[in-house]
Amino acid sequence: MSLEQVAIGSVARVANVSGSDSTSLRLLEMGLTPGVNVRVVGTAPLGGPLELELRGYRLSIRRHEAARVAIAK
Amino acid sequence: MSPPPDGPRAAIVVALVGNPNTGKSTLFSALAGIPTRIGNYPGVTVEEKIGRFTHRGQTIELIDLPGTYSLVPKSPDEQVAVDVLRGRLPGVPTPDCVVVVADATNLERNLYLATQALDLGMPTVIALTLSDVAAEKGITIDATELSRRLGCPVVRVVAPKRTGIEALADAVLAVMKSPALPPQGLGPHLAAVEARHEPAAREAIARYAWIEELLTGVVQRQPPARRPLGERIDDLLTHRVWGTLVFAATMLTMFSSIFWLATPLMDGISAGMDAVSGWVEGLLPEGAIRSLVVDGVLAGVGGVVVFVPQIAMLFLFVAILEGCGYLSRAAFLMDRLLCGVGLGGKSFIPLLSSFACAIPGIMAARTIENPRDRLLTILVAPLMSCSARLPVYLLLCGAFVPNVAVGVSWLRLPAVVLAGMYAVGVVTAALVALVLSRTIFRGPPQPFVMELPGWRWPRLEVVLERVREAVWSFLQNAGTLIVAVSIVIWALASYPHSEPAIDAEVATHRTMLTTRLADLPPDDPDRADVAEELASLDTDDGLAAARRGAAQRQSVLGRMGRLVEPLVRPLGWDWRLGCAAIASFPAREVVLGTLAVIYNLGDIDPGDEEGGTALVRRLRAATWDGTNRKVFTLPVALSIMVFFALCAQCASTLVVIGRETSSWLWPVVTFTYMTVLAWLAAFATYQIGTWLGG
Repeated sequence: MSLEQVAIGSVARVANVSGSDSTSLRLLEMGLTPGVNVRVVGTAPLGGPLELELRGYRLSIRRHEAARVAIAK
Repeated sequence: MSPPPDGPRAAIVVALVGNPNTGKSTLFSALAGIPTRIGNYPGVTVEEKIGRFTHRGQTIELIDLPGTYSLVPKSPDEQVAVDVLRGRLPGVPTPDCVVVVADATNLERNLYLATQALDLGMPTVIALTLSDVAAEKGITIDATELSRRLGCPVVRVVAPKRTGIEALADAVLAVMKSPALPPQGLGPHLAAVEARHEPAAREAIARYAWIEELLTGVVQRQPPARRPLGERIDDLLTHRVWGTLVFAATMLTMFSSIFWLATPLMDGISAGMDAVSGWVEGLLPEGAIRSLVVDGVLAGVGGVVVFVPQIAMLFLFVAILEGCGYLSRAAFLMDRLLCGVGLGGKSFIPLLSSFACAIPGIMAARTIENPRDRLLTILVAPLMSCSARLPVYLLLCGAFVPNVAVGVSWLRLPAVVLAGMYAVGVVTAALVALVLSRTIFRGPPQPFVMELPGWRWPRLEVVLERVREAVWSFLQNAGTLIVAVSIVIWALASYPHSEPAIDAEVATHRTMLTTRLADLPPDDPDRADVAEELASLDTDDGLAAARRGAAQRQSVLGRMGRLVEPLVRPLGWDWRLGCAAIASFPAREVVLGTLAVIYNLGDIDPGDEEGGTALVRRLRAATWDGTNRKVFTLPVALSIMVFFALCAQCASTLVVIGRETSSWLWPVVTFTYMTVLAWLAAFATYQIGTWLGG
C-alpha cells in the first residue's frame, strides 16, 4: 500500500521510498524516511496534490509521488 | 581586539544558508541592512545578494545563498549554494564561515541542511529563528545542549525584533578564531542503514537517524492549551471548498487591484511625461534634435517608467502572499489545473498577472524554483491578453462587430467576441505549453515536493524590500535597453524624410479623394466622409496631419509596411494596416495612434471619445487603393484582433524575457513563435470568416 491510498485524516508509517532518482532523494530529504509517521491532512481540488504533516511541518506532494512512498501495515 | 592569527584581513566572508521560509531574508536585513550588491550569479538566473556590515571593528561581508533544503544539488539554486560554499564560483568571494538559519518550529528538517553544512568542515554557526512562534506551539529547545552535541554555537535570534543579532555576530567572530572540529555523528548511522536501500537514499536515512538522536532530550513538545491561530487559519485555507473560495476571492482582489489601482498611477506618469515633453518642446527649436529628445528619448523613458506601478503593485501582493505563506497554498490549489498542460501550480500567479501586463508577470515567475516550469511560464505569459490589447479589442469590437443579441437579449455579440479574444490567448498558451512540455522541454517528470509553511504575518521590511528590488532591477537592467530600443524605432519611423516626396504623396492622395468623390453615387453614405477628408486638406491642421501620415509612410518603418504587403494581404489587410502592425511591434499600445497618423488624422487621442469616433469613421470609410472596396469588414476586424491577441508586439516584454532568462535565445524564440502563430491564426480567421460571410 502506498501513501496515495491513505484516507484523509489518518496517520501512516513510511516503509520505503522507491526509486533512486532525484525525486525519491528529495522525498527522503524532506523527511519521508522509513519509520516516520505521516498524517494525510487533505487534498487539493480536482485530484490535486496531497497535504501531509510530518516531523512537525506540512508538505505537499503530487499523487504520483505519493504512490512511490510505501507504507507499513 | 587583536587581529586574527593569520594577520589582519579586510573582511570575513560569511555565507548565509537555510531552508526556504525560515526568515533568512529578515535575518539578512537585520545583520547587513540594505544589500550592497544584487544581481544574478554568472550564467544562471539565481539571484545573488551580498551585504556588508562592521561588528566590533571587523568588516563582515554577508552572502545570502538561495534557500535550499539540501547540499546535494538537484536544482540551479542548490547548485549555486554548493558552488559558493566550495568557492567554485568565479567572482564570488569564498566564504570563511557559514551561518545556517534553522527554523525552531521545524528543527528536525532544518537540521538536515545544518548538519550537511557542518560536514563541510567550515567554521559554522547555527542561527535559531522563529523561537517565539515555536514557543506558541509549545515547542521548547535546549540550545545550549544542542550546541554541545553539534560542537558549534547555536544562537537564538528573533530577527524582526533584532534580538540575538549581536550575539550571532559575536559567535561568528568566535568560531573564526577557534574553529571547532566537524562532528562525526553521521558515520555510525550510515553504517547502521540497511543494505537494501539505494546508495543515494542511505545518506538521507542515516542523517535523519542522527538528527533524531541529536534532538532526543533537546526538543520538548507540549501541546498548547488551544490550537494556534495559524493552524486554524490553515484548516480553512486548505479546505477543498472554503480554501478554493478564499483563493478565488484573493486572486480576484489581487488581479483587479493591479488592473485598476495601477491605472491612475500610470495615467499620472503619462501625464507627467507629456508635461515634460511639452516643456522640452518649448526649449528646443523644431528639428531633428527636438524630435530625437521628445519622440525618441523621452518617449522611451516614459515607456519604461509607465510599467513601474504595475510591477510595484504585483510584487507588493506577491511579497505579502509569500510572507504569510499563502503563495505555496495557491500553488497547491492550482497545481492540478496547470499540471494538465505541463506547467505547475506556481505558474498560476505569473500567468494571472500577465493579464494586466506580461512584464511583472514574467518577473513574478522568479518565485518558480523549477527552471523548466519557470522558462515555460515565461514563454507563454505574453499570450495572456494584457491591458494594452484591450483598447484595440474595444475599438474594433465596437466599430465592426454587429451589436446583435447572442441567444439571450443581454448577451451582445461584441461582448462575446471580446471574451473570445481573451479565450484565444488562454487556449493558445495552454496548447503551446502542452506541446513544448512534450517536445523540447521533455524530460523526467519534475517533482512537486513543496513545503506548506505555517501561517504568519508578513514582515513589512521584507515586503518593501521585495518591491524595491523588483522595481530597481527592472529600471536598471531592462530600462536602459528599452530606452535604446525606443531610440532605434524612433529613427526608423523618422527617416528618410524628404519634403518633395511628402508633397508628391499628399498631391496623389488629394487626386485619389477627388476621383473617388466623383465616382461615388450621390446617395452613397461614404460621400460625406470622403468630402470631409478632402475639405480637411485645405485647412492647416488637416494638411499637417496628411503630411505627417505621408512622412510616416515614407519612413523605413512605413516602407517595411509596403514591403510586407504580400504577407499581410492573405490576412485581409491593406498595406496601411501592415504599416500600423509593423509600427506596433515595439509596443502594441501605439497601434491606434499609429492608425490615426497613417490614416491622416494626425495626433489625435483615440482613447478619448471624440478621437475614437473620428478614428472609427475614418477606418469605416477606408478603401483599398484605387477601388471602392472597403478595407475594414468583420472578417478583417476579427483577423486584426486575433493577430494582436497572439503577436509578440512588445519590445519591453522581450527585453525582460532576455533579462530574466539571461539569454538572447528565449526572446528570439518567443518573438518567432508568437508572430508565426499570430499570422496563421489571423489568416485562418480571415479566410474562414470570408468563406462563411460570402
